[in-house]
Amino acid sequence: MTTRTITLANRDGATYEVDGRQPLLKSLMDQSVDLPYGCEYGGCITCAGKLIEGEVNQAPQVALNNRQINNGYIILCVARPLTDCVLEVGVDSHDKLYRNPFLDPLEPHELKADIAAPAPITETPK
Amino acid sequence: MDGACCGPGYASPAEAMQAPREKLLYTIALYVGTGLQKPDYVATIDADPESDTYSQVIGRCEMPGIGDELHHMGWNACSSCHGDEGMERRYLIVPGVRSSNIHILDTKLDPRNPSIHKVISGEEIKRKTNLSAPHTVHCLGSEIIISMLGDAQGNAPGGYLHLDKDFNIVGRWENSMGEIKFSYDFWYQPRHNVMVSSEWAAPNTFMPGFDLEEVGHLKYGREIHLWDFEKKEPKQTFYLGEDGLVPLEVRFHHDPASTHGFVGAALSANIIHWWKDGEDWRWEKIIDVANEPHPDWPIPVPGVISVILLSMDDKYLYLCNWLHGDIRQYDISDPHNPVMTGQVWMGGLLGKAPVVNGAKVTGGPQMIQLSLDGKRLYVTTSLFSTWDNQFYPEIRTNGGVMLQVDCDTENGGMSINPDFLVDFGKEPNGPSRCHETRYPGGDCTSDIWL
Repeated sequence: MTTRTITLANRDGATYEVDGRQPLLKSLMDQSVDLPYGCEYGGCITCAGKLIEGEVNQAPQVALNNRQINNGYIILCVARPLTDCVLEVGVDSHDKLYRNPFLDPLEPHELKADIAAPAPITETPK
Repeated sequence: MDGACCGPGYASPAEAMQAPREKLLYTIALYVGTGLQKPDYVATIDADPESDTYSQVIGRCEMPGIGDELHHMGWNACSSCHGDEGMERRYLIVPGVRSSNIHILDTKLDPRNPSIHKVISGEEIKRKTNLSAPHTVHCLGSEIIISMLGDAQGNAPGGYLHLDKDFNIVGRWENSMGEIKFSYDFWYQPRHNVMVSSEWAAPNTFMPGFDLEEVGHLKYGREIHLWDFEKKEPKQTFYLGEDGLVPLEVRFHHDPASTHGFVGAALSANIIHWWKDGEDWRWEKIIDVANEPHPDWPIPVPGVISVILLSMDDKYLYLCNWLHGDIRQYDISDPHNPVMTGQVWMGGLLGKAPVVNGAKVTGGPQMIQLSLDGKRLYVTTSLFSTWDNQFYPEIRTNGGVMLQVDCDTENGGMSINPDFLVDFGKEPNGPSRCHETRYPGGDCTSDIWL
């Protein structure tokens, strides 16, 4: 078992040792962390949290658009930690998760992965 | 007992209109999306003006788990088995869209405090049928079909779950989904061997929230489908195009002889009417709600028609513009030429009625249910947790409200009842959001006549 240390920044910095092969939602709930969740297959966004430090593999998720991913969101029911991580969890981490779609439209590269345009190439000074 | 005959419901829509007044309401209440780690529940509301607890929540039936997102619900039996004395309208079928769990509530043991009779787990449904995200419940004689918006992984088009009268999974109801791209609501009219279904989106598209750009990428529906009801397969599709973006609630006339029906296209803010003309089914747009300017918006605000409903005599059509904040009443005596006869405002983004009956209204008029006699319309303000959080983020802390609108069934017209207010912001476990409502004796969206 590859053990990772997960720190919950918005739960008084509590730390948990988890199995890197398990989704974070399951690992944390097994240790009595009270978290919101819904579909449990990475599609409904209810369990979204924010990755502050570290890396995860969340390849199965289909809920997040690229803007949400760029803002650090991860889907805990399918995300597996690749390193030690610092997270914010629960609805109080959702400050940038929801936006009025008419007032704040997405750029083509900010859509979900299956329909997003390639990210614009940033000009680098020569 | 509902009616004079043997089984549940009523012999006809006209008989239903003579039923005793509703005294209890069952209304969905949500904690999903609020940050409160509590189960969603079905609230019992006292609707008897003679009662000391009128306009209050008097019972709460909590679901066993959290995160269901209760949404729509339906009865185990309706007027479609009025002649079957072995059936009774007793069990309320309450699905969770996110969890796919389907809860069966017994409302007979104590009508003021329904209890959980059975839970069909989402896991079992996915394993046996490869379906998820239950939505509309209709009984079908003594059996039950439920539209399911996705496969087990949340992909479109989903299909239809078939339950027997004891709530065992029979399997999938439909023989084919044909070329249907998405599922949502449905209604059937057996005398014409027809069912009509509408389209929202794949669960993986709509559940995380609304990205407007996904409409252009054809991730949301713009078609409705006519089914051969006996063959259980689609037979004709109406492509509604820009006039019919995101067609949601489907309502046939209650009159079982009629072929007229209506669907509200949420994003286009149009009402589409269909009917059978000789041997051909036709459709037309009959109502077009104009977008409204907003001082802070770069584009005018669409109405977003989140629901429609027909009075039991098929005379009035009601619609809600969830973003504008108005409910409209149209006389559809001539279904080709509706005439607007009433309008009231509550909440919404246009600022026309931020406070009603002393309560701040967060959200807009959304789900509605009409009394069988057509005189009392009950209204709630939450649409769907993630969409609420996008358009009305304050609903997290304010909760939803239920109001009641008095409807003039003779001359048309609507007014908000000043004596009725259920403020879900003041629920004992914290602010919750209210959604669909049903009555123990049946209501204007539950019953179908054979």
